[in-house]
Amino acid sequence: MEYILTIVVLIAIFVILSSSYNLVIGYGGLATVAHPIFYALGAYTSALLGIHFGLPAAICVLAGALVAVVASILLALSALRVAGDYLLIASLGFQLGLLQVIKNFEFTGGPGGISAIPNTITGPWRTPAYLLICGGIAALTVWLIARIVHGPYGRAITAMRDEELAFSALGRNAMTIKVVVFAIGCGIAGIAGGLYAFYFQYVSPDQFEVLHSAAMLTMVVLGGMGTTMGPVVGAVVLIAIPQAITFLNLPPAVMAPMQGIIFTTLVMLFLFLRPAGLVGPLSRDRMAGRTALEKSSGGVAE
Amino acid sequence: MTVVLRVHKLRKAFGGIVVADDVNIEIAKGEILGLIGPNGAGKTSLFNLVSGVLKPDTGHIYLNGVRIDGLPLYRRARSGIARTWQNMMLFTTMTVMENLLIAPRSYPGESIFKVTLARDRVRRAEREARLRATQILDRVGLAHAADAMVTDLPFGHQKLIGLSRALMNDGELLLLDEPMAGVEGAAYETMQRVVRQEADAGRAVCVVEHNVSFIKDLCTRAVFMSNGRILQAGTVDELLASKALTDLYFGV
Ligand SMILES: Nc1ncnc2c1ncn2[C@@H]1O[C@H](COP(=O)(O)OP(=O)(O)OP(=O)(O)O)[C@@H](O)[C@H]1O
Ligand SMILES: [Mg+2]
Repeated sequence: MEYILTIVVLIAIFVILSSSYNLVIGYGGLATVAHPIFYALGAYTSALLGIHFGLPAAICVLAGALVAVVASILLALSALRVAGDYLLIASLGFQLGLLQVIKNFEFTGGPGGISAIPNTITGPWRTPAYLLICGGIAALTVWLIARIVHGPYGRAITAMRDEELAFSALGRNAMTIKVVVFAIGCGIAGIAGGLYAFYFQYVSPDQFEVLHSAAMLTMVVLGGMGTTMGPVVGAVVLIAIPQAITFLNLPPAVMAPMQGIIFTTLVMLFLFLRPAGLVGPLSRDRMAGRTALEKSSGGVAE
Repeated sequence: MTVVLRVHKLRKAFGGIVVADDVNIEIAKGEILGLIGPNGAGKTSLFNLVSGVLKPDTGHIYLNGVRIDGLPLYRRARSGIARTWQNMMLFTTMTVMENLLIAPRSYPGESIFKVTLARDRVRRAEREARLRATQILDRVGLAHAADAMVTDLPFGHQKLIGLSRALMNDGELLLLDEPMAGVEGAAYETMQRVVRQEADAGRAVCVVEHNVSFIKDLCTRAVFMSNGRILQAGTVDELLASKALTDLYFGV
């Protein structure tokens, strides 16, 4: 039971990650692969503040989010000032570079990471309590993003993505919108990092490798890019299914390749059968996602 | 006569191509200035220079007496320049109404703080903007299409939406880049009527147009541009009477 609850906590954390990634890449049309490093900034900041200063967990998590926000603003300002496409390269450099730094510094625990992060909730109710907290924050995240993207702000984001020049010529600062969307998305990833650190009491650099942005992207695309519920469905499916397979009690020799095969098959199947994602009928939301995909993949120029 | 736009000794070159060569223009409140010239003359480039898409190499631009050539695109729009585009540049994944709702110069619903914290103010502004957008759509006869996707409208109607969006932006200076290209019938009449009404209401308007009769009907004054230079200014009839210009224009 404990094990299943742990998986659900992990799902909640990934719902937070994939939803915020979707805000940035699906709605904002900002091509970035640095989401794992903002997750890491949240996790490491929380862990270090918890260990060295004994601050309350909530403060540590918020501080982690703040660090992620500040770092994301610096990255966005420097990258977007050059050109739109430059963000992809800049985010890759930022992701790889900062992770190297984390791997090599003593105070971040080097390649081994940080363990013995203080336990803030003890007793048999620890996991259910975390489930409540992480689930609550995941729900809050989805709600907040829905509130941002549906309504006037979302309209501005869509217009900016559709036709940035025309949008600016109407008196709108496209740069501000991009930086705000990017900072909110990355800040939320930072919160996910803090939650992860305090629940698992252990963080290590390999959890934040650049490849994890591919996993997050798969969740977003599988569920439905540019839809509010898509990333939720994507996170649930992509974490639950591989875990469910472990319950079949197959020998490890069969298990490991099985997981890979099933995972890949699933992704391929969905990409062919439901290219716009699992969620809902072909809605306007969906169309927004599709154009974002087309634009970020560089296709369909006028 | 109140001068709204004054362009002073403007110059811009792309490598060897000079798109603006010592350009001087004044447009007064309530005036419709025609801007004509052959393809590649630099008419759109001039709009881009004035609205802030391009930065001039030298020269000054004044709006209501205030220098604006140092301002970025979005700040110039806020200071009172509304424009349309030769290729329309509508927001293609959005409805007609949404295209217009993006256009007011300032809008509390697009501040992340107000949209999350001051919901009432946002709702009120949204109501007011919808009301104004409906009035504008009414004027161009497209109120019934408010909830249609812009891409589902016929071409002429899309052009009218481009104009409506600029009107919603409410600049004192209105730059129209080939509003009539591909427009005919009722949409043509509407375009003509609305542009005239806007000038009568006190806007300064500049129209780039290859449709000479449109320019003739609307503009008392026009300038002829070729290779980035303003060759002559005067009434449309004067310009058309000049054989040198018509030869240039019709590529003889
Ligand atoms: N960003 C740019 N970079 C390089 N050259 C440009 C750029 N923009 C315009 N030009 C060139 O400047 C010249 C003037 O173009 P412009 O679009 O201003 O002409 P136009 O008078 O609007 O013509 P048309 O009537 O065909 O619309 C053209 O030769 C064009 O190729
Ligand atoms: Mg042109």
